[in-house]
Amino acid sequence: MSRLLLAVDTSTEVTSVGLARVEDGVVHVLDGVVEDAPRAALSRVLPMAQAMLAGRGFSASDLDGVIVGRGPGSFTGVRIGVAAAKGLAHGLGVPLWGVGTLDAIAQPYADERVLLAVIGDAMRGEVYPALFRCGGGRAERQAADRVSKPAVVAHEWAALGEELLLVGNGIRKYEAVFADQLGDRATFAQRERWAPSPVGLFAAWAVASTAGTLGDGDPATVLPVYTRLSDAEEAERERAGLPWVGALDTGVAGTSPARDIRLGGGETS
Amino acid sequence: MNRVSLTSSSEVSTQAVGSVLAPLACAGDVLILSGELGAGKTQFTKGLADGLGVLEPVTSPTFNILLVHEGRIPLYHFDLYRLSSSEQLDDLDYWGVLEADGIAVVEWGDRFPDAVPPECVSLSIGIVSDDERLLHVAGVGRRGEALVHEWARACADLPGVTITAEDTL
Repeated sequence: MSRLLLAVDTSTEVTSVGLARVEDGVVHVLDGVVEDAPRAALSRVLPMAQAMLAGRGFSASDLDGVIVGRGPGSFTGVRIGVAAAKGLAHGLGVPLWGVGTLDAIAQPYADERVLLAVIGDAMRGEVYPALFRCGGGRAERQAADRVSKPAVVAHEWAALGEELLLVGNGIRKYEAVFADQLGDRATFAQRERWAPSPVGLFAAWAVASTAGTLGDGDPATVLPVYTRLSDAEEAERERAGLPWVGALDTGVAGTSPARDIRLGGGETS
Repeated sequence: MNRVSLTSSSEVSTQAVGSVLAPLACAGDVLILSGELGAGKTQFTKGLADGLGVLEPVTSPTFNILLVHEGRIPLYHFDLYRLSSSEQLDDLDYWGVLEADGIAVVEWGDRFPDAVPPECVSLSIGIVSDDERLLHVAGVGRRGEALVHEWARACADLPGVTITAEDTL
């Protein structure tokens, strides 16, 4: 069975849209566009998706599923992406799956033997930090999404005593903070790799699919990852005795950084 | 924090105070603007917009909440009067805009402590008489202080503008 999937992410100042065909356990990325669109995601994301579909001779009704980067990132950006994807999936009657935006940034490094330090800009002097141990076709997340001060994160990472490859749009404002703490153990990725790419979104989806952590595809149950608001929400959930939902379950499986992404045994299509 | 007080003898002078700020403004600068109705908040912003090379007319974004004017750098003009809580700032992508590529002028920003960033300039305009206005400027944080310092120097030679007090706290 072959499925046509659309992936979108508007969590950062970059709008990312990709189209892929999943066939026999392999994700063939057909097209991907990453457009610099600061505070313009709302007006860009659906026209970009429509143009991409049309360019390949498809229309929206050919889609068999939608993937969305659910943050963390810009509060408004995350909401635009998740809302647009929910509307699209619900309207088409197809599944919607959420993937972590920082996971999508990390996945293209799966074949590089590095300790990858993703820093997303959280605004107001804070960042979204996440470490991924990469290599051998895996990008293994080391901790759940959270929000913190750059100096605190830099101090924690310096204490690891390891070489780090830093990536993410938090570099723009806080490169000096991390460079000061980490010294020559820090390498900064090129700007083109700071944003979640279409390939990264599909790879993050493939990893979650293999691990069986994608969820049921119900558009209603895909939620944005805010982290900052979740303090109050988590306290509320804790009080109500509900399980913690803020963390992204990031089971791992073989992924390839190439444009074709092989799915493991968890793929049931 | 440093503070400057100045008087402006007319609408034109109030606009000029805004206009001379334009060449000093950098992306990420934030101006928290307060003053009662008719004090000249919009006149000041018109002057700033003019200095930035904005061609379109500037009006108070009372109902729009945010109006964006393209100039040398973008001018993001907020009016928070109609917000009912600081949580709504997130709905506006308030911090995303403040930390973006332009200068932000925030009317009624003092309504919400959350809306005032750690580095900014606050300007309050008071009505002295029909024409005369008293402007209190305060620079907060290193960037805010530096900007106020430069701005006061640029205002010193403006016709109809008199610096009445300047101090560093």
